Amino acid sequence: MAREILVLVEHAGGKVDSVTLQLLTAGRQIATQLNTGLAALVIGHQLDGVVNALKDSGADKILRVDDPALASAAGEAQAHVIAQVARQIQPRYLLIGYSLVGMELAPAIATLLGINAFTNCVNVEMREGAVTVTRPLFDGTQHADIALDESAVIALQKGSFAPLEPSTKEAAVETVAIDSKNLPSRSKLLAIIEEPAGDVDIGKAEIIVSVGRGVGNEDKIPILVELAEALGGVLACSRPVVDVGWLPRERQVGASGKTVTPKVYLACGISGAIQHLTGMRDSHRIIAINKDPNAPIFGVAHVGVVGDLFEIVPALTKAAKEAKAEGD
Amino acid sequence: MNIVVCCKSVPGLVTDLKVGADGKSLQYQSQLLAINECDEYALEEALVLKKAHGGQVTVISMGGIKSQDVLYYALAKGADKAVRVDCDSHDPRIASTALAAALKKLEFDLVLTGTQSRDTLGGQVGVAAASLLGLPFAYAVVGIEVQDEKTIIARKELGGGRFADVELQLPGLLCVQTGIQPLTFVPPARRIRARQQPVRSFSLGELGLQAEPLAPKGYRILSVHPPERSHQAELLQGSAQEIAAALLTKIRESV
Repeated sequence: MAREILVLVEHAGGKVDSVTLQLLTAGRQIATQLNTGLAALVIGHQLDGVVNALKDSGADKILRVDDPALASAAGEAQAHVIAQVARQIQPRYLLIGYSLVGMELAPAIATLLGINAFTNCVNVEMREGAVTVTRPLFDGTQHADIALDESAVIALQKGSFAPLEPSTKEAAVETVAIDSKNLPSRSKLLAIIEEPAGDVDIGKAEIIVSVGRGVGNEDKIPILVELAEALGGVLACSRPVVDVGWLPRERQVGASGKTVTPKVYLACGISGAIQHLTGMRDSHRIIAINKDPNAPIFGVAHVGVVGDLFEIVPALTKAAKEAKAEGD
Repeated sequence: MNIVVCCKSVPGLVTDLKVGADGKSLQYQSQLLAINECDEYALEEALVLKKAHGGQVTVISMGGIKSQDVLYYALAKGADKAVRVDCDSHDPRIASTALAAALKKLEFDLVLTGTQSRDTLGGQVGVAAASLLGLPFAYAVVGIEVQDEKTIIARKELGGGRFADVELQLPGLLCVQTGIQPLTFVPPARRIRARQQPVRSFSLGELGLQAEPLAPKGYRILSVHPPERSHQAELLQGSAQEIAAALLTKIRESV
């Protein structure tokens, strides 16, 4: 059999991250076309729950590296463990989630194995006999299709594939031994910290008015607050707005913030960086207001307005207030 | 604490981006290179650490002579030394090899980079260079606490409101998350003065690297194209009032 497709399982607190099931879908498609198997690699300590959850995930086998030394392993040691396993089983491709966790590991694993890594990929498929990845460039305004001629690490964006359907065929579990005595030890995990929930849960809102860097100035935020209130929605934002301190982190939508699926997502002055789209692309109706007709946000929006948000937003606020007054 | 900050030079404002005649490359007229914003946060963090703990900040960038503008900008912000590596590759394997070779020539306790560049959106070079050098690393760091001369604790983001505290023995490398420090303004006069400062440059040969093993390998770029859109957005036109009325109807029928 040809060399397998290997998926790195992302897990935390005994739970498998949803990106893993999406990676398994991508992996299964390539494995079928290359006539090979699909394996899931899970590393850590006390993995019974994670391994059990994966048994019907659709992988042919689960490779388990369960070692007390991995309980406090940081990125460097984890990458060494994964590279050790990869040297043993020689996978054709290693699929990793393009997440903050995956992005710490993917370049390190590829470097240790002396192979290429392709990160931020939105697609992977067979094209004319070659596994081909698609990845964005220039803030996502362009995409590149890249054919792979050698083994590689592929980091796929969340949401690029649907989760793999559970299988009735249970995956075989293989324990893989590693040399845990000689792992790099200059970094170690001390603690996991959960950010306390804020006073607003944007994940529960039906209408989200979301503001991006296009708002330009902190003084302009109240204009969006007023619109959110008039529509009976909540205010959210993209990462740059949090980075400059205009809104608190609990309001942030995106890969490093919250994933939301409201009935209406109104993006005001948000260009639509990949990290943002990841957190809102499944909203039922996406409306985008942006000056730049080429902004990637229009690629996911159902309704678009190319224009100045400082003209459209106050007009919409006024219309919503008038409609509310008439309704009362 | 001596810190090296890796700052990529990226095209500044690009308004004329288009796919080249070969269908495999991007073309644009912008001749101005700017500091990659993610890396500017790393520079700000380095300057804050220097203020608190002393030492020197060295800024390093890769590219042709034009990328020195980014180094002068960093010097104007408060970096002490500047280094340019004469390597102009977008391939992360090549870029990290050249960066690691340059870092070997420098003395440092800590290397800081951003998380990704706005042009290639790869996010690989920092962690890959750390791996080549055998340095401990962490990605998406939102806070750095210096314990002593040889130990730091980095708080890194895991996503979804979760964080991890990681202890690293120096020397080490951290890819810092955007927003770790506020970006500061540099007066133009200081930027002009900074251009008087020397920039040390390394050719690939001086780094002991040869061009041939540094060629991209193992892949072929088939095409570069605007993203395929899953659907076409319905574009609303008219006066602000007309658009507002249409938007309100669409919002109300959705909830």
